[in-house]
Amino acid sequence: MSAVLRTQLRGVAKRPARLLLTGLAVLVVSFVIYATVLAQQITKRSVLDGLSGTPAAVDIVARKGTLTTAELATITKMPGVAETAGRMDAGGEVGNEYLQIVADPSTGPLAVSHLVSGRLPTGPAEIAVSPRTVERLGLKPGSTAKVSLRYDKDGKPLAPSSLKVVGVVTGRDDYGFQAYAAQPAVAQMSGSDALNQIDVRLAPGADADGVRQQIEALVAAAASKVKDGAKPEVATGAQVRLEEAREKAKDVDSLFAVIGLFIAIAVVAAGLVAASTFRIVFAQRMRQLALLRAVGAGRGGITWSLAAEGALTGFVTGLAGVLLALGAGHLVPRIVAAFGPHVASPGLPVVPFLLTVLLAVVLTVIAVVAPAFTAGKVSPLEALRGAGVTAGRRDIGKLRWASGLLLAAAAGLVAAYVVVNLPGKHPKDYDPSLNLLAVVGSGGLAFLALIALGPVLVRPVLAVLGAPIRRSGPVGRLAAGGVGGAPRRAAAVSVVVALGVTLIAGCLVGGASIRVLADRESSLSSPADYELTTKDDPIPATTVSQLTGKPELTHVVPYRRLLVKTGNGTELSAVDVQLSAVPRLAGLDVAAGKTADLGPGKVIISDFMAGNQGLHVGDKVTVVADKRSMALTVAAQLGDNTPLASEMVIDPSDMTKLGAPAGYTGLLADQAVAGEKGRADGRRALTDVVGNHQWAIDVLADQRDQIDSELTILLAIALGLIGLTVLIAVVGVGTTTALSVVERMRESGLLRAVGLSRGALRAMLTTESALYGVIGAALGLLLGVPYAWLAVQALGVNAPFALPIGQLALVFVILVLLTAAAGVLPARRAAKVSPVVALGAE
Amino acid sequence: MQTQFPPAAQDALAAVAAVDLVKVYGSGDTAVRALDGVTVGFTRAQFTAIMGPSGSGKSTLMHCLAGLDTATAGQALLGGTDLTKQSDRVLTKVRRERIGFIFQSFNLLPQLTAEQNILLPLELAGRKPDRHLFAHLAEALGIAGRLSHRPSELSGGQQQRVAVARALISRPEVVFADEPTGNLDSRSGAEVLQFLRNSVRELGQTVVMVTHDPGAASYADRVVLLADGRVAGEIDRPDHASVTEALRSLAVQR
Repeated sequence: MSAVLRTQLRGVAKRPARLLLTGLAVLVVSFVIYATVLAQQITKRSVLDGLSGTPAAVDIVARKGTLTTAELATITKMPGVAETAGRMDAGGEVGNEYLQIVADPSTGPLAVSHLVSGRLPTGPAEIAVSPRTVERLGLKPGSTAKVSLRYDKDGKPLAPSSLKVVGVVTGRDDYGFQAYAAQPAVAQMSGSDALNQIDVRLAPGADADGVRQQIEALVAAAASKVKDGAKPEVATGAQVRLEEAREKAKDVDSLFAVIGLFIAIAVVAAGLVAASTFRIVFAQRMRQLALLRAVGAGRGGITWSLAAEGALTGFVTGLAGVLLALGAGHLVPRIVAAFGPHVASPGLPVVPFLLTVLLAVVLTVIAVVAPAFTAGKVSPLEALRGAGVTAGRRDIGKLRWASGLLLAAAAGLVAAYVVVNLPGKHPKDYDPSLNLLAVVGSGGLAFLALIALGPVLVRPVLAVLGAPIRRSGPVGRLAAGGVGGAPRRAAAVSVVVALGVTLIAGCLVGGASIRVLADRESSLSSPADYELTTKDDPIPATTVSQLTGKPELTHVVPYRRLLVKTGNGTELSAVDVQLSAVPRLAGLDVAAGKTADLGPGKVIISDFMAGNQGLHVGDKVTVVADKRSMALTVAAQLGDNTPLASEMVIDPSDMTKLGAPAGYTGLLADQAVAGEKGRADGRRALTDVVGNHQWAIDVLADQRDQIDSELTILLAIALGLIGLTVLIAVVGVGTTTALSVVERMRESGLLRAVGLSRGALRAMLTTESALYGVIGAALGLLLGVPYAWLAVQALGVNAPFALPIGQLALVFVILVLLTAAAGVLPARRAAKVSPVVALGAE
Repeated sequence: MQTQFPPAAQDALAAVAAVDLVKVYGSGDTAVRALDGVTVGFTRAQFTAIMGPSGSGKSTLMHCLAGLDTATAGQALLGGTDLTKQSDRVLTKVRRERIGFIFQSFNLLPQLTAEQNILLPLELAGRKPDRHLFAHLAEALGIAGRLSHRPSELSGGQQQRVAVARALISRPEVVFADEPTGNLDSRSGAEVLQFLRNSVRELGQTVVMVTHDPGAASYADRVVLLADGRVAGEIDRPDHASVTEALRSLAVQR
């Protein structure tokens, strides 16, 4: 081992904590990477442990072809076959709701559902339902449901069957519209003998291959006898189960691939932080290194030994991170098990273990190359001159200027390309992938430009944003001076903070825009809290006045729907809902005209209808219903659909003239009192009035809430993943402050000697830390908001640009607080040192 | 020219005084008694030099008298205040307002201009600078044209003169200088020492300087000699020859 390396390693061995501090960011990233791998293992194993679609007892499966109950009967009688199950389902309607009746024995090894309460159905007039179906469709055990199962050739339902609900069963999936019955019963209900699949269980000792070949021959022959018959595939149960497992695993894998993307960004951030901290550490050793050079060590030798130190740091911190993740990964299932749910253990994935440590080493070596090279260039005279401070060089050299400006220009060009190629309001056949890729590319180039030009940007940004701090007193001025005096270091750290903030800002702005879009769309499809609809049983005016009188409901607005034919023969849906009476329809996106202009003889049309018929505001359009026709003038054109899944809104008097019956097709209402109880009370008020009518109640507010909460959850998850990069950034600020405190020990001593109190010194160092956050957050917002706008526009979903200023300001403040907190501990340590010791420090 | 015993520490004319001051570094076997019961007073409006061989404790004495370091035993009196008994908060105030300090090197903050460095103690104290005094000091020290430059743009002599200006701007009770000319060439050094002496004569400043250079000591009104942590003598109205002689005899004694 070279003498230089030996000296360095001895230094490292003396102060191992310094090593961990330098590589702290790499440690965090290694921890996260391996923890994610373990999380993926846990998820995969837990998901596969769960109920598989195909029961374990199934040995042979015939599927994907023409199968009927006749084949089922033949197979059941084959020697060696212990049991068979035919899979089919019947679809029907209960009132206005869809009900799926699945064939399943619900007992025995071939069952995919099992009984929870009540008893299993017998015969074609009985069903068992899933728990959510009980809730959603109101099919309680003991009740009878009228289900339309048969339809005529025009699709109109024939007389409904009365089915008695005798029990509750649970299956693998519960969407709220499932019922179960035995296969023969389901065949009778649907009137068809076609099967989706035949599951076969073999008797112990049976000849599996022989039986399989028999079944294959049988189903092939049967299918060939049927016109347009398709030969079914016969597979073993194991094969099918493996397929299903692979499908589920694929879902887990794609989820974690997305997570992996965020982690990749965090790895880049960690690399940047590591490079910056190494630079500081090497600069502090300048005297030592210069001494080695004065004594005869070569430039290359020093560079290599510093790089080796980097590799060692990467190895130690990577290993530490991975081991910590392993510990956590095995601890978590045990803790979770104490609370109930059983979660699988992640085991010990060896290859990811080694790869993660390798990545840590590679990352650190890459990060250390530039600092090691610069440090190796130190002249031997530095040792004699007693230099000990990193260069406060303000300039960045011509090469950096050139590359920075070039990158910025490239980013601008790509962004301009996207702007020019943005889709219009209603794009046809628009594939957003290219534009989105370009946005990401431009963003990446802009970020690289930021890295190159960072030090130059520090002083201007500080001048603008640091003004209040500087005005606050000598401590503030000293802090601002301290940050501005080392712009390279400030830039290195602030850039990582900027990365995190850019991502967060992009997430928040994108999320806000999409939320506004979702709100806009939901106010068209769910304009009120409740909706009452009917198919054949119109709602009388008495019911409307009954509901209007109920204190639990407000904004009760009835409407009628009519199917009309327009000029070019297209059949469209028209409603006569009074827009002004429904609060959520008050602010519709109008492309032309005024919605207030609606009256007898006028019509509000949707964007689709305008395009389909070539209509503009003021044009006349003829609508025909049954035999009556009417000419209407277009009063307004909406930017999107008209509400309630219709294409035009007309005046009630016109609707009556077109032959619509007096009874209403539907009714909108809002809950009078806000909150859960208010919503339940409103629903009860509606249910009371509905009574035995075949009217469907939709709690639109629930659907709206669900979409809202799904958006929020998605946003929270994205922010959580981005939080990783922010964590790395904050770690970077902390380590940089900690290391620079050591370096500025003499400065601190001087300040104390001249009269700066301990508290003021602490405040100064903490403020410096916070200033890194201020600069980073400002740059991040400057980059993030425009790129988020560009990305939202490039999506082509006509989403509006919403700027959540409150949320962005909160992000700014939180970042500044976090970075300030990162500087607290180093500040305390610095203030504890006596001025004399500090002054004597080297 | 002869050694005399130092005047009583409680002398009303003493701007700063040490009474039986003891400072021990380390503990047990490796304990070092840097100051071993020093009692000495420094007269107001006088230029006093502290001299002695290396390891005599002269810098330690100065640090204790200026409140930069805490003594193990004894008293360090600044005016009437015993600095050994004060909290760090009080000592900080003292450093800002009642004391000026000049180090041998690394006196200035690299990121501030000369002017900002000079005004630093006043800024920390929240006091407005006396612009007349500032102009006078800048003029007298010959740095009026370099006020907007950073320390890296100034020569060693100019840096020290800026440090002197900073020490004097708050009109302190005492100015402590620790080998102020140690890193300077003879001409720059002479300028700094001349200025210190003038400030004593014209502004009534009290200056206490640690030095090992007999030439520097000859600018002082009085020299206090230390050896092995104890006062070893005094020279009134020193000149180069008397100081050199005294130092030699101290060295021989060891």
